[in-house]
This record gives sequence, C-alpha cells and structure tokens, in this order.
Amino acid sequence: MRPLNGIRILDFTHVLAGPFCTRLLADMGADVVKINTKMRAAANNAPNSPYYAIWNRNKRALALNMSEDEGKDVARSLANQADVVIDNFSIGILDRWGIGFDEVCKTNDQVIYVQMSGMGAGGPWSDFVTYAPTIHALAGLTYTTGVQDGGPIGVGFSYNDHQAGLHAAVAILAGIEARRQTGKGQQIDLAQFEVGAAMIGVSLLDYFANGKVAQPCGNRPPYDKFAPHGCYACRPEGDDILDERWLAIVCRNEDEWQALCHVMGNPDWCRGEAFKTMDARCENAEALDSHINSWTKERDATTLMYALQEKGVPAGNVQTGIDLAESDPQLRAHEFIRFMEEPHPGLGVTFADRLPIYFEKTPCDTYERSRTLGEDNVSVLADWLGMSEHDVRSGEENGYLT
Amino acid sequence: MPNSRTALQQTRIVDLSDDKSIYGVKLLADMGADTVRPEISAGDLLRQRGPFDDNSGDSLWYTFFASSRRHFTVDENSSASLYELNALLGCADLCFVGKENVLAEKVNLDAARSRNPKLVVVDVSPFGSTGPWRDFKAPDLVASALGGSSGVTGDHYTPPLKLFGELNFMISGAYAATAALAGLNHARESGEGQRIEVPVHECIASSLEHVFMWYFHHEQFPNARAPALERRGSLHWTNLYVVMPTKNGQMMVTPTPNMEAQLAWLVEEGAFQDLLDPKYEELENRRQYFARLMEVLREWVATEDSEELFRKAQERHAPYGWVQTVADVAKNPQLEARSWWDSLRLGDRNLPSPGVPFQFSDTPGSVVESEWLATNGSSVLEEIGWEA
Repeated sequence: MRPLNGIRILDFTHVLAGPFCTRLLADMGADVVKINTKMRAAANNAPNSPYYAIWNRNKRALALNMSEDEGKDVARSLANQADVVIDNFSIGILDRWGIGFDEVCKTNDQVIYVQMSGMGAGGPWSDFVTYAPTIHALAGLTYTTGVQDGGPIGVGFSYNDHQAGLHAAVAILAGIEARRQTGKGQQIDLAQFEVGAAMIGVSLLDYFANGKVAQPCGNRPPYDKFAPHGCYACRPEGDDILDERWLAIVCRNEDEWQALCHVMGNPDWCRGEAFKTMDARCENAEALDSHINSWTKERDATTLMYALQEKGVPAGNVQTGIDLAESDPQLRAHEFIRFMEEPHPGLGVTFADRLPIYFEKTPCDTYERSRTLGEDNVSVLADWLGMSEHDVRSGEENGYLT
Repeated sequence: MPNSRTALQQTRIVDLSDDKSIYGVKLLADMGADTVRPEISAGDLLRQRGPFDDNSGDSLWYTFFASSRRHFTVDENSSASLYELNALLGCADLCFVGKENVLAEKVNLDAARSRNPKLVVVDVSPFGSTGPWRDFKAPDLVASALGGSSGVTGDHYTPPLKLFGELNFMISGAYAATAALAGLNHARESGEGQRIEVPVHECIASSLEHVFMWYFHHEQFPNARAPALERRGSLHWTNLYVVMPTKNGQMMVTPTPNMEAQLAWLVEEGAFQDLLDPKYEELENRRQYFARLMEVLREWVATEDSEELFRKAQERHAPYGWVQTVADVAKNPQLEARSWWDSLRLGDRNLPSPGVPFQFSDTPGSVVESEWLATNGSSVLEEIGWEA
C-alpha cells in the first residue's frame, strides 16, 4: 500500500519538469499512464534515451498517435477516467486535440487538469518557449548564482525543472484534497516561470522594501552575517579539475567558531582582533578565508570533515557524481541508489535514485524500469477502458496506438 | 486567517518547521491551509534572518517564508503552555517538525499521535534519523556541498558554488509539502496517520538532473571524458545552452530544439560564416559542427541588443533567455499581466509580494499577511476554534 494508490494520472508531459512531477506521484503509488508516440519518440523523448528512462520509471507506457482521429478518441476516453490530466506543452496543444479542460470537464467534472507551461496561460509572454536554462535566466537565478564581478554563472543543472515538477505535484495533491471537500475537480495553471520567480522571493521583497538589487556573492550568505562561510580547497587527488577536493565550512555562532579554532590547533591568528567577534570575522572575511585555505590546502577533505563535525562545526565535502554514487556512506546506508530488477530492453541495467520521502506506514520502495513505446498498451486500455487485447492489437496495426 | 474557498481550507497545520522545510509549509498555507506557527517567548529564531525592512526592521526572510499563518507565543518553560501546544496537535491534520525549531523538541509527538491517529507528522532533517551522518550539522552551504549541487555549480576559476539564497532548502521544502499532502491523502482515505521523514541530503541529490545519468550512462555521450562532469560555468551538460554576452547584457543562448531553424536564422542575418560547409553534413563531423555553431552564435550574439535579440528569438520559438536581475523580474510584464503579485503590509506600507506559483481555477490561493493571535499558548485552542 502506497499513499497515492488508486489515483489515475493521464500523463502528456515530456523532457524533465512534467515527467519529474509524474515520477514523484508514480513513486508514491499513483497509476501514471505516460503517453508517447512513435512520431515524437526522439532525443530525450526516446524511451531508449537514459534521460527518458530516469524520469519515467514506475509509469505505464501507452502509445497514442494524436494525428489520427481514433487516437484522439482514445485520449478523450482515457481523460474521462482520469483523476488527473497533465501536460507541459505550450498552451493550447491539448485544446487542439479536443482534450482541453473545457472539453474534458463536460464529461468528467472530477478531473484535476494541470497545465505546466513555461509562462502560463495569458499575458504577453504566454507563447514563449522555455527550457530550464531559459527560466533560470529570466527569473534571476542565473544572475544571482555566481561570484562578484565574475559574470553570470547560474545553477549547474536544471534546478527549475525539478522545482516545477515538485510544485506541480503539490498543486495536484492540493487539488485532490479540494475535490474531496467540494466534490469537483478544477484546472490548475502552473507557469514554470512563476515557480522560478518564487525562488528569489526574499530578494524580491528586499527590492520592493529597500530598493536593493541582489548581487552574486559566491559562497557568502547574501543577507546574514556568518563567517567563515565558504568552500576551501583541500589536497587534490590529481591534476584534473575533477581531482580537486573542496570542503565547505560554516560557523554560525561563537561555539562553532571556537570549535573550528580548536580543530585547527588554535593558531595565533585566531585570537587576533580581526577575528574576535562574528562582526569582525565578517568584516575581515577575505583574510579569514585565506587563513583557513592555508590550513586546508594540504589536508584531506574527508578527514577534516569528520574532525570538524565531531566537534560540532558544520562541514562537508563538495561531492561529485562519482562521490555520490560510489562513496557517500549516508546514501549507501539508505540504499539511495538501486538497480532495477528487470533489465531495460534498450539500456540494459538501469538505476533508480530513491524517492527521498520515508513513509512509516505506506513505504514507497517499488522501483520499476521505464517502459518502451506502447509496452503497456494492452494492460492500460484493458484497465482504464475495458478494451480487449484483440482491439488493442488492431489499433496498433491501424496506426493510432503507435 | 485562512483564505476563503481555498484548496486546503479544511487542512489544519501546526508548523514547527525550521529553515529546511518552512518553504513547504508556506506553499500549503498560501493555498489556504489553516496554519499556526507557535513561537518561543524570545521570538522565533528565524525572525533573525536577513534581509530586514529598513523602515520597520522586520525580517523580510521571515515575512516571505512564514506568510499566511497565525502566530502565538508559547512559554517553552511552562507546562500549561506546552500542554496547550500538545492539545493543538490533537486537532491537527499535519505537523511539520525541524531539529532547529526549539518547540519541535518540546512537544510530545508520540502522545499526540496516540490521541490523534490521523495526524501526519513530517520530519525534515539534514540526513534523516538513521545512517552514519545522522548527527551531522548541515546548514545550506554544507547541504549543498554534500548533496552534490555545489559540485556542478561554479566555473573553473571559482570554487564550487552554493546556489543563491535558499534554493537548496526550497527543494527540501517542496519535497516536504509533497510528502505532507501524500500522507494527508492516505489519512483521509484510510484514517491512518503516520510519521514521514524527509532527509534534505537526499532531496538535493535527487534533484541534480544529469548527475546520476552521467555516472551510469556517460559512455553514451560523445563529450564524456569521465563519469562526472566538472563545474563549467553556465555551459549545460549537453554543451548546447550557455550564457553569451550581447552588446549590452547577457543572453542564455541555445540552438535547440530546432537546429535547422537556428541555422536558417543565422543565414537570414548574414551571420552564418562557414556553417554551410558541406563537410558539416557528414555524420562524423556533427560534433565539430555543434561546437562551431556555438562559436558562430557567440560572435553574432555579441553584436546584438539584448531586448531585441530576445524578442526575435522568441518570435522564432527559440528558447533564448535574457539574463535578468531581481529588479528586472520585479518589473516583468508577464508577471504583471498574470496578476502574479500579491500585497503584504510591512510596518505602515503595503508592498508587492511574490504570489502563489500555481493558479487554481476554483480555489485560488494567495499570500496573506500572517497575524498574531490575541492570546498566548494557554488559551489558543479556544481562540482558533479547533476541535478534535
């Protein structure tokens, strides 16, 4: 028993933001039917692409050719059975297929209908095309993540796609709770750009209240007075940038600072006026960082991390993907990386990074590989529409279930 | 007070979160959940987080993250006051707890769950309650380092960088909200509450897009030289999205998803250089072509005006992104047209406030000012009108 058992989701999403949302819901037990079609199954939307495989685990795969009238008819019938219909196309695509909210709700007034387009419905930018890096740029995330005078760097991965997916999952579950109270479904318009803008909400308030425009500040906290607060180079393991080792160290109060001094062996400079108080340490943060760098640069990052944490100083290795996958003892203890029991027909052994939510009574420990194009045509159409295998095979031969 | 006719108006939340999940509670409170956030006598420690309003001195951090709630003071040393707080849990649907919230340590969650078996408790901590790092301290920067987000953020000339502001804990916050509503769904259907753990470390590690794919499948990518990618500035893992300087600003430029259309545009602009060379049509030269295309784009973009280039790109359905400052976002015409902003009172001023990032057709949410209950912890249950 998982917490979302019994919830049916008709999934027209693609790439990352939408599939990440429906993956979360599928991990928690919802019956997610992922729609794909031969005509669009290319690049990151190809079931044999590792990218697709990662974001579409635990879902069932239905092939539906929406350029055929019969394909649209099947989609309409499925939408009538769905608790949730979701897409992340530009606004209007599903309307053109005859399964827009206005059509679907005529026959299924229980449906939670989610559109998670880049810019949302309405407004001068409504038709704009976006990917996560576009949203990062437009929402201020690219400008603010970086170093002073260093030019925009931004987040090194598609952060906003994950956030948009999470926000869509929250919205869907809130819509289901509202339906429980009102007896009716509704439409939810999630603009990925608005999710991105919410991520700099504090800085926006600072702008409106004080007229201050947030600037990139490296690893220093943009608004709070904590020092040290940085990533410090440790002994590298080779000459390549991937061999660099770095240690994040943060002191938020006097106790943590004194503990850091203790682990460093209480060098004379620690007792100087320049570092006596938090205000002084913030004032002289550059000099402080330089002293700490001198201490860390010949030392092993992991050894230092354990020594500091043992004394109560927040410290952590900067982990690469290799570290996370191979040597992170916490992730290993929680079996964070799992391998799918059934090999993927195109990719062989595939993996799952587990849902980071631990339910005491409804554990979500089921991970099944992503499915190939139309692999679940028979089971989905039997379960949702009561179609016979013969009719499904006939639809495949006629091309609308492909 | 809860908003009227909102998605979560029947949901009662006791908010004992810390900075790792306060954003998740905000999401639910802004959708109308009836949310109370008790504070210790000295005031919520998170009220000390900057920035502050220059006029009123109020924490803007707190104003943003603790919106749409009702606050009251609990004397953490008074058994009567704590008794009342525990009684609140007997009437709640959800309770969020965080290690760094003093009151989370003071409540008796086991007793509350016995009295209220439908209660869903969402416990968000740096690493969860088990595992070798369970007692590690991990404020944002450390969480970012260990979770992997710093490892891929930054450039070769910078240290690994943490994401600006609270972006890491906004991930764990969003996960916490998801967990809470999934738990609530189960409780509504079955009558069974439960405890749910959400480790921040795993929330960050699960939101790194390409990182694990690269580790397990890097041999499939022609530009892979190792199972991990180094920090590489704004350059995306595909090598096809990067920030380029324009004549008067910065633009995130990509020739995807329609490479042919991008080439046609360059031809139209007379800026295609050698890109029509037949050698690039050979399959074995495609990588070379993509690299050359990005070089040509960089040279051309440098001659263009940012606003004009962004407009022209989007007219052609090219997903370019104009790099905007916070001030630019504050004046964005799309947010304005969609009435995204709400309004909050700070001191004696009404200020625009970031709105709710999803619009419900029938049960819209909104960011509303938090309010103080007139009474303290000893009679709060009566004042808020909760009953078991």
